[in-house]
Amino acid sequence: MQTAEALSVLVDDATVVYILETRRHFEDLRQIASQLAGLLVLAAAGSKEAAPDHPMLTAARQLHREAADGLLRSRPTLRARRHHEHLLDATSHLANALSAANRILDVDPVLIPLRAGYSALQQAADALPGFELISFERACCGIHLPNEVKPA
Amino acid sequence: MSAYSLWVMEFAAVPNYPLSGLVYGAHNQGTRKLPYCYIVIKGQGQIAMVDVGYNHKAYGEVLANTYGVEGWHPPKTVLGEIGIAPEDITNVFLTHSHFDHMGNIEDFPKATFYIQERELSKWVWTMSLERRFRWLMLGIDPADIMRAVDLARQHRLVCVDGDRENVLPGVDLHAAFDTHTWGCMYVRVRNDLASNSQDSYVFCGDLAYTQENLRGFDPNDPEYIPVGLATGSQFNLIMTTEKMVKLVGGDVNRVIPPHEERLKDLYPSRITSNGLRVSELALADGEKSQVR
Repeated sequence: MQTAEALSVLVDDATVVYILETRRHFEDLRQIASQLAGLLVLAAAGSKEAAPDHPMLTAARQLHREAADGLLRSRPTLRARRHHEHLLDATSHLANALSAANRILDVDPVLIPLRAGYSALQQAADALPGFELISFERACCGIHLPNEVKPA
Repeated sequence: MSAYSLWVMEFAAVPNYPLSGLVYGAHNQGTRKLPYCYIVIKGQGQIAMVDVGYNHKAYGEVLANTYGVEGWHPPKTVLGEIGIAPEDITNVFLTHSHFDHMGNIEDFPKATFYIQERELSKWVWTMSLERRFRWLMLGIDPADIMRAVDLARQHRLVCVDGDRENVLPGVDLHAAFDTHTWGCMYVRVRNDLASNSQDSYVFCGDLAYTQENLRGFDPNDPEYIPVGLATGSQFNLIMTTEKMVKLVGGDVNRVIPPHEERLKDLYPSRITSNGLRVSELALADGEKSQVR
């Protein structure tokens, strides 16, 4: 995850502040998308664990409320305006997905808005630095190479 | 007699990867090339793969610019080097759910995918934890989960619970729980089809990255050294390594880590016009070499 110092090379200071403020909400929305998708895998695979009263859905709804509130309070700079719009789109689509999951954990009514929400998150990640859909830095390939490292 | 042709297909690489990321505790010992590969198993009327790599459309730019991954090519190009199209693939064995192993399932429209049920169920459980546990989600792409939904709906996702013999004739799946990930598995090919096989290979996914994980640094005094990254435990990784080595009769060269560049020193290989390596471990009866 890029630090404030690294971001300040790429965007103005006010946008750095916006990125640091909204990154948490972006990650929460990503987490909600993952939680819903995980439940859908269980549902599609015929697992009895997949049900509208699954505790993970309760957690996802709470997370969604917090992210939505936070994003409404945030003040995007001109540079960040499009990013903010993508995040609001993602919030709206994921609200629809959660609402559909409320009624019955049928795959399509949840999956369609979920995909739209994830797509909006991807667009947000493309619109500004500092937002990643996968934590590469903790993955197998994710060791950033400082320039001074020399081949063995 | 060989029942299957076996190839290791490179699809991308990191030219300079710190050894400390590959071998537990090997700090300040420089870097080496880390290829990204998947395995092709062809024979008995089937073409199977072990893992499918990642989708460059989704995160190739980040990987290239931030982590130095170079030379990614799509399965159509990579498999084309051995005369196979992605549509020809009938079975895919997913060793684990990290993005660089299962991130390209949509490129194989006719394949049935096998994964350990525990890999999925623990994944879902992990997602229910609070934010401070997010390290446990490392390497997971939510988009892969959505693609798995589609696979399940199309009845192309098989959740395996533990070991399963003869998923194809002479091909066995072995669970390695709580090792590199929650529900890792490795694939054994008994290329003589015998139950007490004398001609086996094990495809280990990320249970070993490199030969040093399998035999240490001193050839005169071999030891197992686990990979650095474990959601489970180093103990389980070491004990799994012992099992894998036993399944190939003690010949560690037959335990195949897909990230090991030095397979070229053990098996015939060639570099394609795209700069990617094809290594040929075995040829089925009547099959033409793809590297000579």
